[in-house]
Amino acid sequence: MRLGILTDSTADLPRYLIQQHQIEIVPSILVLDGKEYADGEGISREEFYARLPGFKTHPTTSAPSIGEFTARYQKLFEDGCDHILSIHAAGPLTSILSAAGQASQEFVDRITILDSLSLSLGLGFQVLAAADEMEDGLEAALAAIESTRKRLHVYAALDTMDYLRRSGRLPAPVTFLGGMLNIKPVIELADGEIKAAGAARTTQQADERMLHLAKSAGKLERLAILHTGAERRARGFLNQLMREASQSLPREILMVNVTPVIGAHVGPNGLGLAMVKAK
Amino acid sequence: MRTDTSRIRIEKLRLRPLDGQAVKRLVEAGLTWLKTNQQIVNSLNVFPVPDGDTGTNMMLTMTAAWNEIKDSGEKHAGRMMAVVAKGALMGARGNSGVILSQLWRGFARAIQDTAVLDAQSVVRGFSEARDTAYKGVVKPVEGTILTVAKDTAAAAQAALLETQDPIEILTRCVPAADESVQRTPELLPVLKQAGVVDSGGKGLFFILEGMLRHIQGQPLDAPLASVQPLSSLNFDSAMQGVEEGQDYEVVVDFFPNSSFELRQFYDRLEQMGTSIQVGEGDGMYRMHIHVPLDKRYEPIDYIMGIGTITKVAMENLLAQMDEIDAKARGSKLEFAKVEPGQIAVVVVSPGSGLSRIFASLGVAAIVEGGQTMNPSTQDILNAFENLPTDKVVILPNNKNIVMAANQAREVTVKKVAVVPTRTVPQGLAAMLLFKPDGVLDSVAEKMTKAMNTVQTGEITVATRTVEIDGVKVETGQVIALLDGKLVLSAPAVEAGVLGLLEKANAAEHELVTLFYGEDMNQSEANRIADVVRSKYPALEVELQDGGQPHYQFIISVE
Repeated sequence: MRLGILTDSTADLPRYLIQQHQIEIVPSILVLDGKEYADGEGISREEFYARLPGFKTHPTTSAPSIGEFTARYQKLFEDGCDHILSIHAAGPLTSILSAAGQASQEFVDRITILDSLSLSLGLGFQVLAAADEMEDGLEAALAAIESTRKRLHVYAALDTMDYLRRSGRLPAPVTFLGGMLNIKPVIELADGEIKAAGAARTTQQADERMLHLAKSAGKLERLAILHTGAERRARGFLNQLMREASQSLPREILMVNVTPVIGAHVGPNGLGLAMVKAK
Repeated sequence: MRTDTSRIRIEKLRLRPLDGQAVKRLVEAGLTWLKTNQQIVNSLNVFPVPDGDTGTNMMLTMTAAWNEIKDSGEKHAGRMMAVVAKGALMGARGNSGVILSQLWRGFARAIQDTAVLDAQSVVRGFSEARDTAYKGVVKPVEGTILTVAKDTAAAAQAALLETQDPIEILTRCVPAADESVQRTPELLPVLKQAGVVDSGGKGLFFILEGMLRHIQGQPLDAPLASVQPLSSLNFDSAMQGVEEGQDYEVVVDFFPNSSFELRQFYDRLEQMGTSIQVGEGDGMYRMHIHVPLDKRYEPIDYIMGIGTITKVAMENLLAQMDEIDAKARGSKLEFAKVEPGQIAVVVVSPGSGLSRIFASLGVAAIVEGGQTMNPSTQDILNAFENLPTDKVVILPNNKNIVMAANQAREVTVKKVAVVPTRTVPQGLAAMLLFKPDGVLDSVAEKMTKAMNTVQTGEITVATRTVEIDGVKVETGQVIALLDGKLVLSAPAVEAGVLGLLEKANAAEHELVTLFYGEDMNQSEANRIADVVRSKYPALEVELQDGGQPHYQFIISVE
């Protein structure tokens, strides 16, 4: 039995890993000045973040269409897959999962839909874990995901609360942070929910909190430094982390400029961490 | 004539046992005399900043003690003193008030089983009072109220070698306390620099002297015909209690005629009203009084006859009080809901804007207070006793409130951690690390660490002329404090802010938050924020309405 793996572009997987593991990616949709773009088209990530504070109308996003999912599933089956593992961005935060779910109903019992309960490399690392086991079939892939998920931590230090607030994805306990003061929130993405993990007033304070979170995770199996158009900040953070915790870091560390589909909701100049602790 | 009657009275008192009722009268006498001399104690402020007034704090602490016993018919001295100690403990305000309450506590403990005080028990009381007060302070500093308590206890001990009369012991303690107060500048350089004696020590002296004056039949409640430096006049504290029928506050500045006689002046004023204060500076006198509506022109008419009036100010206190009440009601704050088992944060906030900011950061309760109005242990307790959790973090946000917060921790059954924030910016920095669901000690530890990540600047107006740490300051000048240290004086607020930021190395930092006080209008605050922005283009500059009194700006640099 041959297993196919499909995810969406919010997994933020670099191209070489997508190719290496033959993962099918469905692009999510970015809406810029009333025009829809498949994620990765129309505007580069660098340009998007540089322009983000200044767009006339605030960028929005939408899930890929059901038809798009249907076409991708169709293609994988035509390529010889017997079963598809379709794993996606956190259900409580996006409607991608529900679009995939509806599309899958055409292919009874041939598609397993899974909510990653995460975003960006928090989703991406689950996909990679499944891909490592895909030769051994669906059960092995699901077990690998389950194991990864237990050891997964995703944090972000946002430059401002504004974007998240505007997105309507700010849960009540986080709302109070920064009712009046300009706060740079440190958030955790866990179980598909955004939770407050701290607050800072300056980038330096926020980076120190993130460093503390990274260091206290112990030895890591996988690590991605995420940023929203803040490469310098991310590099500085990585250097610091390598100086202070080089023994705990995996051999390969991903540095990812996060997709605009997520960036539109968290704003520019943010720093993120996706970590899978070692077993 | 007077000498004769008072001698008779002394004899009477000596014959009368020092039981619970005698203790009660002594406490009342100490309080009354302290109240009479409150402004003198208040004027002994080291820093020329509007600060928690030691005299007022000690007086309020003593008043709380007195309120507990004023209706008591208790005959047992030890039991009476225990009630005094408890009242003082709960009513303690400011660091000096807290130490004073510890003195009472020690004294009470030493005599708890003593029904009638004798010389031995009085001496034991002074010794235990000293020991308890010293133990209550983490790092005892000499040249303070502690030293005065120590010297007084030593004098009592020495007197015991020569007399078995408890009254005689007290009689010898009072001059010893006085001398000790006079020596405080030798022990504490900052006092010498400021040219004052220690205020807390002086307050303690007045309490003891009041007791002695009572025994000797000398008057206590007549205001002393004293003149204070103009700068130490504090009419705000008088606002806290407007006496029935004394609805108008009248302030008159005047240059007296050559025939001016202070005692006579006071006598006349006493017939007109209450809350009399007289200050003098460069030959000009300022008179402050509360009078009833129909007598509001009397002080002015009177003073016209004895000098040349330069300024008159009259205010309707009731209207002012209404305004204050309305303001308090208007700012309804929404606090974080606390679930049982969660940690609740209680903060002391000196301004309405700052209260709103703290509320938005998730505090569960706010105690209003700060620079010139230090809340009591009881005030702090009241704020959290009714919260539905037993885990509490207190942020005092003022160096003079830390001890009262610690005392609140001692007297409650709840688990309380005091994060000893000395300034508002420290409190805000600590608040960012707050997690309601954490473990109390570790959350408090993280918050304590965080409070030191900011520098605090304060801009205010000097209340007197002084030179401290090489900075020369004249009354009315703008002064800047960096982390509690006087760093510069300036002709205007803008220059003060810029100078302070330079001292704080603002260019090396990321964010400056300016909390403007109630004395600043928003457009002026905005203008100054813009000046800061243009001088430090790389800095993020945030302006917030703090609403604090006396301080034009509280500034956080981080």
